[in-house]
Amino acid sequence: MELQPIYIQILALAIFALGLMTAISRRNLFFVLMGVELALNAVNLSFIGFSKTLPADMSVTGQIVPLFSIAVAAAEACVGFAMVILLFRKKESVDSDNYSNMKG
Amino acid sequence: MLALIYFIILAVIALGAAVCVFLSRHPLYGALSLVTSMVALAGIYGLIGSPFLGVVQIMVYAGAIMMLVTFVIMVLNGARDSKTPMFDKVSFFVIPAVLVLAGLVGFALVGAPLAFDETALRGSVALTSRTLFDVAQTGPGYFMLFEVLGLLLLSAMVAAVLLAKKRLGSVQSENTEEGH
Repeated sequence: MELQPIYIQILALAIFALGLMTAISRRNLFFVLMGVELALNAVNLSFIGFSKTLPADMSVTGQIVPLFSIAVAAAEACVGFAMVILLFRKKESVDSDNYSNMKG
Repeated sequence: MLALIYFIILAVIALGAAVCVFLSRHPLYGALSLVTSMVALAGIYGLIGSPFLGVVQIMVYAGAIMMLVTFVIMVLNGARDSKTPMFDKVSFFVIPAVLVLAGLVGFALVGAPLAFDETALRGSVALTSRTLFDVAQTGPGYFMLFEVLGLLLLSAMVAAVLLAKKRLGSVQSENTEEGH
C-alpha cells in the first residue's frame, strides 16, 4: 500500500463538496464565506495533487498556480468581509434571507 | 507506507474539521475548525512535496485570512442572533444534489489512470522563486502575473477600506465628531 494520487483527488473532492454545501445551504453570512474559502482550498489541493503526476518540467506549473489562487482568495475574503460589515451595520442581522431584496 | 499513514491522519483531520465547519452553530467555532482544516491541508502539501506552498498556506490562509475572519466575527458579535435556523429550506434539494455530483465526479476520477511521476520536481523555495521570477524572454512569464496580483490586492484593500468605513455626515459619525 503506497500513497496514490487518487486518494488526494478524492480528499479534494470531499472537501470541495463540503465547502459547496456550506456555501449554498447555510443561512449565516459568515458560513457562506467560509464555505467559499473551503472550496478554494480543495481546488488548490487538487492542483498540487495533479502536478505530482506530471514529468519534470511540467510539474512546476501546478505548484505555481495555487500561489496565485491563494492570493486571489485573500483579496476575495478582504472585500467579502468588508461587505459583511456593511450589511450588518444596515440591518443588524447575519441571516442571508434578510438581504434578498434583489430577488425581483 | 509511512507516507500513507501520515496522509490518512492529516486527511481525517482535514475532513473532520470541514464537517465541523458545515455543522457548527456559532461562526467562531466554524472559523476555528476552518483553521484546523487549513493547517492539515498545509501538512498534506508538505507531504506530497510542495513545502513552499504549505508554508504559504499557513501564512496567508491560517494566518492572514482567518485572522480577518475571527476579527470580523468578534467585532460584529455575530452570535447575537442565534435564533435564525442553521439551514435553508432549499438545502433539502441542494445537499443530495451536491452529493450526487460528488459521486459522479468521484466515479469518473476512480476510473482515470493516475500515477505519481518519479521525475516530478519538489516545489522547494529555490525552485518556486526561480520559476516565479524568471524574467527571461523565453521564460514562463509568471512575474507579470505576480505584478498584476499586487495591483489586485491593493485595489481590494482600498475597496475594503472604502466599503467598511463609516459614512461621513451620518448620524454616528456626527455624534463622535461634535467638536467640529
